[in-house]
Amino acid sequence: MQGKLSWRAKLRRDRSLLLMTLPALALLIVFSYVPMFGIVTAFQSYDIYSGFSASPFVGLAQFERLMTDPVFWHALENTLVLSAVQLALYFPVPIALALLLNSILSSKIRSFVQAVVYLPHFFSWVLVITIFQQMLGGAGPLNTALREHGWATWDIMTNPETFKYLVTGQAVWKEAGWGIIVFLAALAAIDQNLYEAAAADGAGKWRRLWHITLPGMRGVIVLLLVLRLGNSLTVGFEQMLIQRQAVGRDASEVLDTFTYFYGVVNNNFSYGAAAGLFKGVLSLILILIANKVAHLFGEDGLYRK
Amino acid sequence: MDRRQLLSLAGLGALSVAGGGLVAGCTSTPAAGPGTTSTSDLSKILPSYVPNTAVKPDIAGVIGANGAVSDPVFLSYPGSPVKTVSGVPGKGGSYTTMTPLWGAIPPSSGNAYYEAVNKELGATLKLQPADGNNYGTALPPIFAADKLPDWIMIPGWNTTNLNFGQAVSKFTDLTPYLAGDKIKAYPNLANIPGGAWQAGVWNGKLYGLPAYPGGAGIPGTYYFRRDMFDKLNINPDNIKSPNDLDALGKELTSSSAGQWAFDSMWDYLFQVFKFPMKWGLDAGGKIVHKYETEAIVEALNWHAKLVAKGYMHPDAIAGQSQNAKQRFWSGKVLICGDGPGAWNGDDAKSGTAANPAYRRQAFKLLSASGTPTVELNPGAGMFGYLNGKLKEDQVKECLSIANYLAAPYGSAEWLTVNFGTAGVTYNMENGNPVLTERGGKEVATTFQFLVTAPTPTTVGSGFTQVAKDFGAWQADMVKYAVKPLFFAMNITEPSQYSSIGQAVEDTITDVRFGRKPVSAFTDAVKTWRSQGGDALRTFYDDIRSKYGTGQ
Repeated sequence: MQGKLSWRAKLRRDRSLLLMTLPALALLIVFSYVPMFGIVTAFQSYDIYSGFSASPFVGLAQFERLMTDPVFWHALENTLVLSAVQLALYFPVPIALALLLNSILSSKIRSFVQAVVYLPHFFSWVLVITIFQQMLGGAGPLNTALREHGWATWDIMTNPETFKYLVTGQAVWKEAGWGIIVFLAALAAIDQNLYEAAAADGAGKWRRLWHITLPGMRGVIVLLLVLRLGNSLTVGFEQMLIQRQAVGRDASEVLDTFTYFYGVVNNNFSYGAAAGLFKGVLSLILILIANKVAHLFGEDGLYRK
Repeated sequence: MDRRQLLSLAGLGALSVAGGGLVAGCTSTPAAGPGTTSTSDLSKILPSYVPNTAVKPDIAGVIGANGAVSDPVFLSYPGSPVKTVSGVPGKGGSYTTMTPLWGAIPPSSGNAYYEAVNKELGATLKLQPADGNNYGTALPPIFAADKLPDWIMIPGWNTTNLNFGQAVSKFTDLTPYLAGDKIKAYPNLANIPGGAWQAGVWNGKLYGLPAYPGGAGIPGTYYFRRDMFDKLNINPDNIKSPNDLDALGKELTSSSAGQWAFDSMWDYLFQVFKFPMKWGLDAGGKIVHKYETEAIVEALNWHAKLVAKGYMHPDAIAGQSQNAKQRFWSGKVLICGDGPGAWNGDDAKSGTAANPAYRRQAFKLLSASGTPTVELNPGAGMFGYLNGKLKEDQVKECLSIANYLAAPYGSAEWLTVNFGTAGVTYNMENGNPVLTERGGKEVATTFQFLVTAPTPTTVGSGFTQVAKDFGAWQADMVKYAVKPLFFAMNITEPSQYSSIGQAVEDTITDVRFGRKPVSAFTDAVKTWRSQGGDALRTFYDDIRSKYGTGQ
């Protein structure tokens, strides 16, 4: 049917939807597409006084330097490890929370819990990390209590070994509540009659979850997973920046902080742009692969084939 | 706003220098001058010094070693402030400005303080304070987009990343207006000593208007809780070396009670262990970087030892430096490092709010071996610059405004510039101006960053004893002042070496908190040398032979 409609007819049919995408489109153009012009600096030795036009063109020299820079490779490794840990420990949490919330019948309790878990999303990272430090740090109530009982203290905030779990924990505390919104919407879209029919057929709680709820959410889960993989090289800039001194560079340097310290802070914009472009290309490849896999499993992924 | 702390910050940075090309093999950088000026040229450029002696301080400044002078102390504001500017300085012009601000940005509309000062100026300065902590990263885009305001303050430590030897050409060369006796047209600017202008000279021309000049600027020192020491019968005068400090650690730390002896102690250890702030000379006269000294290794070991023994507050180790003052005020740490500006009436007000007995005091200069020394900051570390696009009469109007803003302490204009209008934003209490509630919200260090008169020690929030204590400490401190290598010289370092220090600084953080052994530091320094440290030494050898050492 759709294929037979003319381009004009489609435009008329979808005009209100298209209008609604305009603000988002404007945002993308201003903050994503226009700045992409800056990529040219990655192939230059950019100098702020000469500008784009007069800075010398150096070809792939910045990338050659990047590929031989052990600090860069270490940052990439840290980024990938952190991303894997977050995928395993963070990604399932909002799904589980959404299921849990959905099973609460009292709407009063539900909105209360929802409000409580949404709240941390609105805190800045500085605040979140300060709260963690105040509660779990060496001078916080946890370690003070341990000390009062003559037990060994537990170094949570300044241990480079366990830093990846700490940042994941902080991300879960701050963002997991906010992340449930999409899943709740998916849950609401599931036909309630299915549950009644299944219950009538004698399906228990777990059976209904397995055969109705999870399949109903599958499309959304896969979509978010694909997006997450595309974003897997972005693992939290502020969080790393603020805790850099606490655990040291070896544990906290990720691609974004590398770009910041070696590009922006030290006025090496071309080098930073090269690292940023490398990250962008890698992310694009990742998202395409993930989308392909989604299609193989018969899901929509980012777009319908 | 904490003025002296800024001064101390200024000093740290004024020694770091920015990109340009001198070293053979760095032809990629434009052939701008190195920024440096020889001593003989300086004497032709620097403005004459005509001190204003209208107001007598309660305690006069003390002349120390190597040109250091302690700030005079005033215990009350003169009862009938003199006018130092006749007529209206401005001609109705309107100028955009940009200044850093460490603190809450005040409202720009309906701000009684801004309006009061602008009214007196007879011109409109559109103030745009920007977050001081990110100022360094905000500046390059402004330069790149050529969106410089008419009047901008740039701290010395931010010039490092701006290739400033080249950047200054975007500003007005003030030499034709202010050099030598020409400055006498602006008597309040002439009241700023020549040494303060020195670090505002680039490529043989005067560009900068000094902000917060002073003759006793040092990056910082070590403080203790005098009230707690008295309670424990510890005589602070017996604490003379890092070992003495270390020995206090055990007595002062009671972690189960939430009390630790030390906050982070790293920042000012160069003074105690005697390694240079940046470059220095070894016994044979060879130029060495602080990284290459034995003293910094000792300092790292000492700091790591305090951490290992559990004498340092865990939040300090976790890098929570934004709460360091609260830890000191509430007695969770008893010894800390901070800028000289940390010791003032506002600090006493906050500290006594936490504990009425609170009393901050600085140790007399500590030393790991022999008589202590302390490297001086240049006479000013931050400078206001006028946009090069301004026309001659606009420049003259701005300088006339600058003459008003630089009115000395004790004058009527000083009160306006720093406190606004009496009865609205401040009141006189016990002989000193104190901000009203409205003033607390609207008055911020803004105009003062464009240009400032020499800043004396004054009574803040009614704490007279604090001003006296600080004055006495500073009068002792200046006796040990030394000029660092390349003192007050603006040197533009080749930009390709700008990031080589990053890895070493990261390693220093790891080593001083005991996460890595000292050998990691020496390895990082080896890499630093091969990546450009040795080339920089050659660069500085060349500077020394052409322009001298500034000492």
